[in-house]
Amino acid sequence: MRAISRGRWLLAISVAGGLLAGEASNLIGTCGPFTDVAGDVFCPFVLEIFYMGITTGTTATTYDPTGNVTRLQMAAFLSRTVDRTLQRGGRRAALNRFWTSKTAEFRTDLPGVPVAQPAMAQSDGTDVWVTDTTGGRVYRVRGSDGKLLDTLTGATGAYGILAVHGVVYVGGHTAPGSLYSIDAAAGGPVNLIGPAVLGDNPLQLAYDGLDIWSANQSGSVSYFTGRAGATTVTTGFTSLFGILFDGSNMWVTDASSPGKLSKLDSNGAILQSVTVGTQPRYPIFDGSNIWVPNYTDSTVSVVRASTGAILATLSGNGLNGPAGVAFDGQRILVTNYVGDSFSLWKAGDLTTLGSFDATPLAQPNGVCSDGLDFWIPFYGGAALGRF
Amino acid sequence: MRALPGSRWIVAIASPASLLIGLTTALFGTCGPFTDVALDVFCPFVLEVFYTGITTGTTPTTYDPASPVSRLQMAAFLSRTVDGVVRRGSRRTPLNKFWTQKNVLNPIQTGGGSYLADTDGTDIWVASRDANWIQRLRASDGRGLETWTGATAANGIVVVDGTVWATGFLSPGRLYGLPSFSDPGGVTTVATNLGAFPFAIAYNGARFFTANSGPPGSVSIIQFVPSLPYPVTTVTTGFIQPAGILYDGSNMWVTDGTLKKLDLNAAILQTVTVGDSPFLPAFDGTNIWVPNIGSNSVSVVRASTGTVLATLSGNGLNLPAAAIFDGERILVTNPGAGTVSLWKAASLAEIGTVLFSFQGVGPYAGCSDGISFWVTMGANGFLAQF
Repeated sequence: MRAISRGRWLLAISVAGGLLAGEASNLIGTCGPFTDVAGDVFCPFVLEIFYMGITTGTTATTYDPTGNVTRLQMAAFLSRTVDRTLQRGGRRAALNRFWTSKTAEFRTDLPGVPVAQPAMAQSDGTDVWVTDTTGGRVYRVRGSDGKLLDTLTGATGAYGILAVHGVVYVGGHTAPGSLYSIDAAAGGPVNLIGPAVLGDNPLQLAYDGLDIWSANQSGSVSYFTGRAGATTVTTGFTSLFGILFDGSNMWVTDASSPGKLSKLDSNGAILQSVTVGTQPRYPIFDGSNIWVPNYTDSTVSVVRASTGAILATLSGNGLNGPAGVAFDGQRILVTNYVGDSFSLWKAGDLTTLGSFDATPLAQPNGVCSDGLDFWIPFYGGAALGRF
Repeated sequence: MRALPGSRWIVAIASPASLLIGLTTALFGTCGPFTDVALDVFCPFVLEVFYTGITTGTTPTTYDPASPVSRLQMAAFLSRTVDGVVRRGSRRTPLNKFWTQKNVLNPIQTGGGSYLADTDGTDIWVASRDANWIQRLRASDGRGLETWTGATAANGIVVVDGTVWATGFLSPGRLYGLPSFSDPGGVTTVATNLGAFPFAIAYNGARFFTANSGPPGSVSIIQFVPSLPYPVTTVTTGFIQPAGILYDGSNMWVTDGTLKKLDLNAAILQTVTVGDSPFLPAFDGTNIWVPNIGSNSVSVVRASTGTVLATLSGNGLNLPAAAIFDGERILVTNPGAGTVSLWKAASLAEIGTVLFSFQGVGPYAGCSDGISFWVTMGANGFLAQF
């Protein structure tokens, strides 16, 4: 134990006393630190937004409660409200995961002969399911620790994947397209729903609460329901890669010239087309906006789903052949298929969070999130990454 | 790159040199699309409320930053803020689950009648008063994991910090318990002197409260103590035929012809008139949703005041039995029609009615794990993920 001089001791007491005095004076203020706010029914509201960091007051001891709020000031209040609430409410907060990783973990033991080509990942909330295109396999990996739980075979050309209420659907990237299902509770096997349920060369799958949909690379969209059979629509499509459901409509990315993001009705007819970058791939919806990775342009288009307006076209931040996008509730991760890396943004304000090199693993593709981690399949690396 | 001991995971070192900033392009005007907002310290805030859909600006290129905000405008801003935060913060969002189911998919056969259920966040727990067991199912895929027997007439169920508790719907009523990490086997009966026919159970952080339908109608309070049996206090004063019970963070509320707010000793603090025969309610953090079986309505009650904010009807309500909240939506079961009715909880806007019948049996009650609704289907034992 280090000795402390009397002088320092007295100084320490003095400082502590000062702090206590300051603390006391704060506490005996009318409403927390604010001497101009009455200790009435409004006081708890003022204190909450002060303690949460939504306001700092007009000075250290004043809040100016009767002052008017300009639209500019209100933007600051609301923006901080969104940030603080999402940060506190996320699963990551309760687990003390306030970091953005500076490293990524990859598992390289995904079994497969020939060498596995993990294409897309999807979480069921607990486990992560990954397709292996070359080996026709589906892997189930435990989300908490990354343990490989099951390797299921028989899904020829397995690419797109979807988890719906205990059933995992897999699209076979074949012509015609196959659709497979897996009873997750039983742990398999892979069941072939039909060899020609989907159009030629389906890539990404999505679900609207009724039908399984696929975006087909050969230029069509398919939707399948056990009651009405399968329907494939080709009108207006060139070469589809990605598909998502925004709560109201399906959207598909079309590697046409120029590249398009198209909003569909429930019959697969195009309602609206938005010109995005070249070769758009696998997009994501963050609850407000659709993030479209443009493979050839190395850009990301951010599109307001409610209007189709392009809010921003992002470049830089390490973008290099972007392919997949995932949203974890706060952050957007984009995989750079060409650059063997991934790029991060804060979804709320589109600010960059940096890019991360993944070499020697190659071709990160159809990423997903389980709300805690991002899970990245490396198509050319026989690996699954967690970030 | 280094290998992790005992595993085949390897770690790649990121390239911090690539932590770049300010590369957002195609942002028009001084601050994003807004030509009247300076590119200063306030700009990121304006952009965030624009990108998250909270504001659209006064025109596509102006925000009018110096103007004051009216209370009406602020209502719109706050409403959009709540919606955006709730949606982005939902467990469903990272999983791309933006859909609302249009039908019932693959109900799970639990092997006994299933009535009330609860979740520990990972698994679903179901009580069967027909089969006298408590069953655990994996929430990610519905797989039946373990079954505990000996829970005679198990009905109400609540999960508390690694333990599972169920009422025995008998007279006198019982309380069963089990540690959720224990091997499957028999449950432990911790009390045998609850009021008659305890139907539902809730926990306030220290004690269990059960709603006992009787006769005589009552509420029982059960305390944790180091040895068995647990002491029970049963209160009959003011109760007729309690059915549902919930805890709002401050008080217990029971449905008993009306909605009754209780103190720590189960004395009635407040009585709220709702519809006819209120049954199994849900609390959404602000309001209590009370399904009224006898009047085909749902009463929405502000918990802090007891004020009835709205009485919902239509939207397919048909003998509504139970309300369940998933963080965004309220689901109400309609055993009378074999359907469920859905509302957006924040605005009480109708989402719609969905057919929910399997082998001629409709929905009964259930719970939510924040990703799915888990709906029991009564005597046929089916449990449906929705």
